[in-house]
Amino acid sequence: MSGKHGHKPFEGHMHDFEAHIRAVEEDLEYYRAKRFEPRIFYLIRRGVVTFSDLLNARVALKRSNQFFKPRKPQGKNIEARVRYLEEWLDEYVKGIALVSARAVEAMDMVTEDNRKERGDYDDFFKFKKKEHKGTLKQRMVSLEQDLTDYQELLEVFVQALIKRGWSTRRELEQSWKQLHEEHPWAGGVIVAKAWTDPAFKQALLTTGREALREMGVHQGKVGKLVVVENTDTIHNVVVCTLCSCYPYDILGDTPWWYKHESYRTNIVQNPRACVQEMFQLEIPASKELKVWDSTSDVRYFVLPQRPAGTEGMSEEELAKLVTVDSLIGAGYALEPSQQKKAMKLRAAPESPRVRPD
Amino acid sequence: MESKFKVGDAVIVASENPTGYPRTPRYIRGKRGVIGLVHGVLENIRDHRGIHKPLYTVRFDLSEVSTCHDQDSIWVDVHEEWLNGVRQDS
Repeated sequence: MSGKHGHKPFEGHMHDFEAHIRAVEEDLEYYRAKRFEPRIFYLIRRGVVTFSDLLNARVALKRSNQFFKPRKPQGKNIEARVRYLEEWLDEYVKGIALVSARAVEAMDMVTEDNRKERGDYDDFFKFKKKEHKGTLKQRMVSLEQDLTDYQELLEVFVQALIKRGWSTRRELEQSWKQLHEEHPWAGGVIVAKAWTDPAFKQALLTTGREALREMGVHQGKVGKLVVVENTDTIHNVVVCTLCSCYPYDILGDTPWWYKHESYRTNIVQNPRACVQEMFQLEIPASKELKVWDSTSDVRYFVLPQRPAGTEGMSEEELAKLVTVDSLIGAGYALEPSQQKKAMKLRAAPESPRVRPD
Repeated sequence: MESKFKVGDAVIVASENPTGYPRTPRYIRGKRGVIGLVHGVLENIRDHRGIHKPLYTVRFDLSEVSTCHDQDSIWVDVHEEWLNGVRQDS
């Protein structure tokens, strides 16, 4: 399961380097071609910045002014280098959030604008994604170069925004700090409470976001929240066949495969085969499989079944059994024995990011 | 804006609707389903500026929208202008 948790910094040992590198490649191109570069074009078209601004900012850019300072690899071994790439990608994604419309004053941009700009409705506007070839080592070298280049453009873009007065260095530094704050992962907290508190579960399933209000977790703001419950007779899976809609404002980012075309196509064509092949998940014939395609203003997540052998566990312990995959329906919540084994393998859950779908 | 359909109503998705909500996926166009959830008009100011027509989650048999014959279902969010009512027995 190591490769399915996106690019999150990894704790413990890695077993499948190729899966990790592939996740970084997929996510990096996704964020560049779907999130960042369309945004530059959007703002250039509206005169918020110009190409000349970018050129001038590039000339004036000093190392000391840069926001992004990825740590150097701790060793020369392959694992340390993979980890380094994952952390670097994470910084790049946070950097994109830093210059997202809502974070920068006076830029009135909604998600819909980004969808238009990046070609969701018109192939003419699509940004081509780079293909990755070669040996694992070559791909890692190539990723380091891409991250260097993409990060520089992002840095230049930030400086140009400051120069043009769309934001101040102080504001951005404040946001940058907030983006790096650690929060307990809401997914585990919400599910564990639903497993132990029937009244809360009922409220969560019937009122969605309203039920989160008193919990002290980030309530989110994007659309209506619908929570679908897995039972002995129903297994739910979530997808957005059009892009990658998901309640990220509550649960944080999705794994790279959620955004990938193969998942978005196959899950509505042959769902059982899709979850079997991609996640080695065999859904018993006795269960109906429901796929929820989030195409508009509803955001879905799955309430997984409480695993066997968890009687008497505290909410805090239960929360650790909840994986990102299980909230999408691509996995079950972990059994306690699996969790102990996975402790050293699993990525630390992420805090929500501030950025549009 | 009042919702035209209620849970359980049989509906068919329009094949083309160039002026409506743009994100109705192709694989359900022209397909028959049943209203599963009624959401009404939702405001989502971070996503879009305008107000869309009432929203429903429509349940489709998997076999209606794909070539797969498993007894499973696909639930898709569809706005009202894309939906036409059909008689249950037709």
